[in-house]
Amino acid sequence: MRWLALYARSRRVPAALGAAVVGTAVSWLLATTSSDQDPVSSTVLVLTVLLLVAVATATLGGPDDSLDRTAARPWARLRAAHLVVALGCVVLLLLATETTATRFGPIGFVVRDAAGLLGLTALAAVVVGAARSWILPLGWTLLVATFPGDGTLGEALTWPVQAPGSRPATVVAAVLGVTGLVAYAFLGSRPRTSLETP
Amino acid sequence: MSRIVGIEIRRSAAFGAALLIAVAGAIVLQATSGRWSSGWMALVMVQREYLIVLVPLTMAAGAWQSYREHRANVAELFATVPRPRALQIVPALIATGLAALVAYLVSLAAAVPRIIDTASYLPAAAFAAVAVGVLTLVVAFWLGLGLGRLRPALATAPAVAVIGFAVLAFAPQIFSSGAPAAAFFPGSGMSVFNVYDTVGGRISATQALWLVALAAAAFVLFAVRDHRFAPAALAPLVVGATLTALVMPTGDAFERAKLDPVAQQLVCTKDDGPRVCVSRANESMLREVTPKARHALELLSTTTPIVEAHEDTSTFSPKTAPAPRADTVLMNVQPDKSGHLAFPGRLELQMLTGAFGGPVRCGDSRNYTVGTVAAFFLLGREPATGLDGTEFEDPEAVQLYRDLTALPKGEADARMTAVYRASQQCRDAMAILTGGAR
Repeated sequence: MRWLALYARSRRVPAALGAAVVGTAVSWLLATTSSDQDPVSSTVLVLTVLLLVAVATATLGGPDDSLDRTAARPWARLRAAHLVVALGCVVLLLLATETTATRFGPIGFVVRDAAGLLGLTALAAVVVGAARSWILPLGWTLLVATFPGDGTLGEALTWPVQAPGSRPATVVAAVLGVTGLVAYAFLGSRPRTSLETP
Repeated sequence: MSRIVGIEIRRSAAFGAALLIAVAGAIVLQATSGRWSSGWMALVMVQREYLIVLVPLTMAAGAWQSYREHRANVAELFATVPRPRALQIVPALIATGLAALVAYLVSLAAAVPRIIDTASYLPAAAFAAVAVGVLTLVVAFWLGLGLGRLRPALATAPAVAVIGFAVLAFAPQIFSSGAPAAAFFPGSGMSVFNVYDTVGGRISATQALWLVALAAAAFVLFAVRDHRFAPAALAPLVVGATLTALVMPTGDAFERAKLDPVAQQLVCTKDDGPRVCVSRANESMLREVTPKARHALELLSTTTPIVEAHEDTSTFSPKTAPAPRADTVLMNVQPDKSGHLAFPGRLELQMLTGAFGGPVRCGDSRNYTVGTVAAFFLLGREPATGLDGTEFEDPEAVQLYRDLTALPKGEADARMTAVYRASQQCRDAMAILTGGAR
């Protein structure tokens, strides 16, 4: 247990959890006071999921990844578990709003977007490092939040804002989620060489 | 100074950020080329509208730059340089400001080749709109720098972007009128409804004033050494918001400034043929429109006093309409995705239908069926649906057309003349067409 606590601390998990709870609360508060839509509009939902995934991004890398790897630990399993727990936290936080009058749902939408965006972030962390991994998911989601596309290609490209029943969107999210999970589990974030160059 | 700025550009995230923002800006513009194919003003306004995407991304770039600075642990080292504090931070502001400027202009330049052949009218307001857009992006970068310095964490950059996007998307809706929304959010209220839309000089000046206040707040956030003094950034915000609210145009003045009267002015053919006029904004289409319009005028000349064709420059918001003239037929000139005349095959039919169906001012007393029958009678073919005919089937029109063509030519022409007169006076011309009354 002590080891797990140290791991969580090295990844700044407590701060991330606090930020996620505050972020969800503020988002819920604004949605409750500014509109009586139930469930909230898809744009609000996508932005909230994106915010929570961004907070989780900060936990994907430690202060010194090269040093981390010298530890004889089952890293692949640990990293996979890390991503799954992060996904669970995002979904649970938004699931909690189901008990209120302003629901952040449907839950299928939340799971699809959270899994797809986390997978994409993890994939980016493998390629460009955890510090820059938020750029692609953020840019992609903000671009498609302004124009939801149609047709198979359009729905696939704008998957984060599609209705929960959209098959191309689900496929893209699933592919991103699984690829990100596998790549991150086996390879981990691209290591930083030293503390001075983030 | 330029040497330091050069070093700052190389060591900061400015270059990479400029590249990403330029690519994102170019993607959104190219993906929606149909919205701005009508001219320069439409292009610069649509680009302003997409600040809703570019501003959050730019703020994220600024916050990321501050986080990198924090991680690099160089603050203490830089503080040892014997230079005033202002001189230490100004190069960073210049480098990031240049990056934002270049990114905005590059994504604009990428859109230019699409309309350079067809767009002609370039008002000064377009330059003002671009300048305000550039200023918005520069200020966004600086705000990101300031916020990133206030809370240097990895998640700050994406969080700032998401919050910024939410503010830009939802906050303008708080205002019940368009004026304060446009003054405080330079990307809002930029939807292009017709080719005569513009951004008034006073609204651009108001936006620039508010952006200067935001820039001052960003400077304070970025420059303070001690976070306890960060609330000082509120002072320029309060002063700026008060001034903006005082000078912004409201009500009628705001609505009227959305329309450019010069763009609505008519430009006419100068040769000896019948006069055909289009608006200045659509001047490049005059050559395409003229032969079709002259053919329609020729058809109209036997039964009506019409000798000129003018573009219909009516607008809905604010409501304007060209003065009615008995010798003029109005034509609906719309650009298509490539800036050329949209539905060229339908122009003549639309002109003839408009002439006999009654002018727009007649409202509900216009009779579309009468207009259709008269138009196809002049065109010499049966009313048809499809590409160059009407948009929906009208069996009544077909029957009326057959009845009209069965009449002797003199009687049919006389009815046509009477129908034209009645429709110009907003009277229902159906009875005249069927021979019931004259």
